[in-house]
This record gives sequence, structure tokens and C-alpha cells, in this order.
Amino acid sequence: MIDRFTELKKIAQKDGHVLYNIFFGPNHPGMNGNFGYVLDMVGSQVVDVRLNAGQLHRGFEKLMEKRLWVQNFSLIPRVCVVDPDPNEVAYATTAEKLADIDIPKRAKYIRTITLEMSRMTSLLMGMGSVGGATGLYTIMYWMLSDRDYLLDMFEWLTGGRVYHIFNLIGGVRRDFPEGWIDKILELMDYFENKLKEYDHLLYNNPIIVKRLEGLAPITGDEAKKWGVTGPNLRATGVRSDIRIDYPYAAYNEVEVNIPIQEDAKGDALARAIQVRLEFEESINIIRKAIKQLPEGPVRVKIGNPLKLRIPKGEAYTKIESSKGEFGYYIVSDGGIKPYRVSVRGPSLPVGLFLCKRDLPKIRIEDVALWMNTYSICAPDFDR
Amino acid sequence: MKIKEMLENIKKEFPYIGTEIQEEKQARIYVCNDKFLNILTYLRNEKFEHLANIFAIDWIDEKEFEINYNLWSYEYLVSIIVKVRIPRDKAKIPTALNIWDHAQIYEREVHEFFGIEFIGNPDLSPLFLHNWKDLPPMRKDFDTEAFSRKAFDVGEREGEK
Repeated sequence: MIDRFTELKKIAQKDGHVLYNIFFGPNHPGMNGNFGYVLDMVGSQVVDVRLNAGQLHRGFEKLMEKRLWVQNFSLIPRVCVVDPDPNEVAYATTAEKLADIDIPKRAKYIRTITLEMSRMTSLLMGMGSVGGATGLYTIMYWMLSDRDYLLDMFEWLTGGRVYHIFNLIGGVRRDFPEGWIDKILELMDYFENKLKEYDHLLYNNPIIVKRLEGLAPITGDEAKKWGVTGPNLRATGVRSDIRIDYPYAAYNEVEVNIPIQEDAKGDALARAIQVRLEFEESINIIRKAIKQLPEGPVRVKIGNPLKLRIPKGEAYTKIESSKGEFGYYIVSDGGIKPYRVSVRGPSLPVGLFLCKRDLPKIRIEDVALWMNTYSICAPDFDR
Repeated sequence: MKIKEMLENIKKEFPYIGTEIQEEKQARIYVCNDKFLNILTYLRNEKFEHLANIFAIDWIDEKEFEINYNLWSYEYLVSIIVKVRIPRDKAKIPTALNIWDHAQIYEREVHEFFGIEFIGNPDLSPLFLHNWKDLPPMRKDFDTEAFSRKAFDVGEREGEK
């Protein structure tokens, strides 16, 4: 990196150009979230990158130590804005593990369905942002308007569009309202039909293919070594999914077929296509879960939630979110508040560390695409 | 391989560690400060190749920090958390940078929020906090309320002492 840097600097001086800095974010059209890179540039080539994180730092982990077990549910969805449900489920599942609460089967299925819906909203955002970063705004508008149908379903079920605060220790807040299941199945049919149009618009689009092909490739071994997880890891051809490897909610009963591309190259195009395959799989999972949905209560009684004490102990739960592994490590000292909550965000190793390897090889116009194909979400590094 | 056998194998290699099984696919290993790098290297070579994160816990009553290395094996599908305790007043620990490259960023984060020094990590500069001159904020003895009163000049509400 340093060699390349000095070499380019020399070339630049010969040509009469100078090295300059660009603040790529927090206020930049290509940036998603309150985060920034400071890029050292020669012409349109990035030669070095520095981090400008902390714009969204609110100290969630510290705040959680100061609040009751149930109060934290209003904080944690904010750790990831576009895909908030994995946080709630990870936190609730860990607390249930510690308190040895076995939640009803129906609650597990409801969690599975809402997790997949939340995943779909985030994947749609991911597909749309690729369009936004290449200047093909039709894609972005389509995806965001389709995402709204899912948000409407969330509003009907939970009362909230973006943050749902739907899970509790011991289950979920309420059962599906009347007519909700028919509507979500209708919506899944709509999305399945829409997929062909997405393909025409986005994945068969020569502009997109040309821009993404060969951009920032990564091999499976490198990805494992650098802490890349989830769809980004699967785009390199590694068959790994937490929903199968370490099941939570009802994933041990609902069949998940991990989508893997043949001869996956691990470049930006492979990552973008992976998002579409994951989206298709989510539709199938929701259908299967609804087919198998058992009857029964949706939560167990835990007594007065304001006086809820979780027994002493510690545990880790990880969830397959749309960006990778979301994990909560919770330590309880037997009190009414958690002793320590540690959040493992999927974007942190990529957004703050892999960038140092990848960004200095690419041009300024590809930085936003690099971020979007890795689906980097700023709130989960800052927390 | 079951998790119990796996821990026994590790224990054969390193008799001085303590182990605890949390559930079917999750276990914890307790190890002392000067030996933990051997364990991490061993686990890394034994297919525990994914370092999910590094985080610290402040056990203020016992006057100790606990550094946790959260590992996952793609082959055995098992999660192991390696726990190392260091004294609070001498918060120094060797870096794991030679085993995992991205340990760098996690160590930088832990250094910023707990003030733990990672010997051998070249860049421990502040990442999230701007112009922070107080105690590292994730320590248990850091008083958030006193800090916000001082920093934001909120004063006292009516009826409050």
C-alpha cells in the first residue's frame, strides 16, 4: 500500500497534479449512514483511506447496563436501522437462555417470519442502493416502493414501520391479526412475480454488470480470515449459514436452502447477485413457516417485567442478519439490569478494517458501490 | 466431534486451562494472561478460524478486566469463547494481531472504551470518541450522569436535590 502510494504520488507530481483529501461522508451522496472515510486521492484513484467513525456513537452498550431488561428492547433495534429484528431476537434469545425460559412454538415461528420479513426489507434496500450508486435511480425507487409494502405489513402487525419492538423476553408481543397471513402470502406472490422484473432491470443490465464485475474480489479463505460473514461470505462460494449451523427461533424445523452461486468469484457482482438469491430464499422460508405454523400461545408469563431478574450467567447468541453475523453476548449478575452487553456487528470488520485493503485499489466512483455491495451499515460499528 | 471431547482434547494439550460448557454448541475456556496466545494459536490451527469479536468485561468488585475472544469453527460448527483476566490497575495484554489481522480494529475499540493496552498493536488511536479526556467510558466506575451534567450543563430539575 505504501509503495503504491509513493509511486502514485511521484507520478502525480510529474504530471503537475497534487494529492488531495476527500471527506467521503458523513455528508456525501454515496455514503449510507452517518459515517465517513477520509480518502487520499490522486486524480480519481484512491491511494489511502482513514476512518472518520463515531458520528453515530451513542454508547448503547453502556446505556443497556443502566436500564431494566425490558427497557432495553426500545434501544437495541436502533443498532441496525434497516434490519432491526435480528437485534431484538438475539437479545431476547440470550436472556431466555440465561433464565432458562422455553418460549412457545408459535412464538418461535412468528419470530422466524418477522426475521425473514426484516431481512427482505434490508435486502431490497441493498439491491436498490446498487442502483442508486450507479445513477440508475429507477432501480432504487422500485426497490424502496416495494419495501414499503413490507413495512405496511410490519405496521399492521407491530404498530411500527421501522423499529418494531415486537419481541419480549418469553415470546412476542401479539399474535398475527386477522387476515394478516392471507395478505403476506399475497405479498410473497407479488414479490415472486416481481423478481423477473428485477432481473431485467438490475442483474441483466449491462451497465451494472460492467461496473460490478471484478470489483474488489475476495476469496473464501481471505473472507474467513478477515471476519466477513453472511451473504458476503457465501458470495465467495463458502457454504455457511447460522440459520442451519447454529439454529435459533424455528429454523431447526423450517428448511433453509442456502443459495450458492456456481463458480462464485467473490467480486462485487457475485455479492450483488447473492442478495437477489437470498431474497428469493426468504420468500420460500416465509411460505414454509406459514404452512407449518402451529397453534397456541405466543408468550409465556414472566411475572412483572419491571421486577424481572435474570439469573447469574453469561451466553452468546448469533443471528444471521441480511449483512452477516449479528451477535449479543450478555453477562448477568442476577440483577434487574444486565451487567454487560456486547454487540457483534457484521459491518465492523469490513467497514473499518477490510476497507484498508480494498479501497486503495479502486476509483472514487466505486467506493459507494463497494460499500453497498458489502451492505455496510454504519450504526452497527458506532453503536 | 462432540464439544465435550473437543474440550478434553484441548485440555490434554493445555492442562492449566479451565473449561465450561454453556450449551450443545457453545463453551468457554478460562486461561491466564501469559499463556492465552498459545491457546489462540492452537485453536486457530484447529479450524477455529473465525474471530467474531474481542470484547472486555469490567469486573470491578474483583478488580479485574476480562478480555474475551469469541471464536467460531466453520468445520465443527462450535463457538468457543476464550476468557483472559488481567488486573485492573495493570491493564496490559499482548496483542492477537499475529493470529488474526482484524483483531487490530477490535483491540483499538477495546482500548478506547476500557483503557486496556494491547502490547504490540501499532495503532490504538481513538476511533469513536472525539477529544475524550475523561475515564474510558465503558468502565464501571465511569459515572454517566455526572459526566452529562458536566458536559452538557443541564443543571438540576425542579424538585430535584
